[in-house]
Amino acid sequence: MAAAVLIFFGIGFGVLRLALGPTVIDRIAAVDALTIVSISTMALYALVAERFIYLDAALVYGVLSFLAVLAVARYLERGL
Amino acid sequence: MLELLVYLLCGGILASGLLAVRLKSLLAASVSAGLASLFAAVCYLLLGAPDVAMTEASIGSGLSTIIFLYAIHKTRNARE
Repeated sequence: MAAAVLIFFGIGFGVLRLALGPTVIDRIAAVDALTIVSISTMALYALVAERFIYLDAALVYGVLSFLAVLAVARYLERGL
Repeated sequence: MLELLVYLLCGGILASGLLAVRLKSLLAASVSAGLASLFAAVCYLLLGAPDVAMTEASIGSGLSTIIFLYAIHKTRNARE
């Protein structure tokens, strides 16, 4: 329950920073934070529903999620 | 409780889709489109389709953002 409330606030403030963020760097940081909040949402739902196949989706997404932020960082540094 | 989380994620899909249309910077718009795909993946998982969520997370949010960045890089070089 407390974890669900924290996830609510995390998604809310993350989307708020994505909408308001003055620079592109703020928006990319907001997307990275929302990625981690989403992985924790998947893990929480696997615990609530007691179906641990859902942890596999969270695991695959946790392995693959850094690639987008890494590509954006490399693009900002010297262009892919 | 779970319905509230699904509604919040659908609101996140709407907000990031609107931001992807409205933002001036191409980089922020493509990252925001990837975020819409990420929220869709979590929504699929909460609605009970973990395999669809896994595919959507790896292709929609990871690969398409990188392909968008590559296309932005190529066309910016061609325009100048």
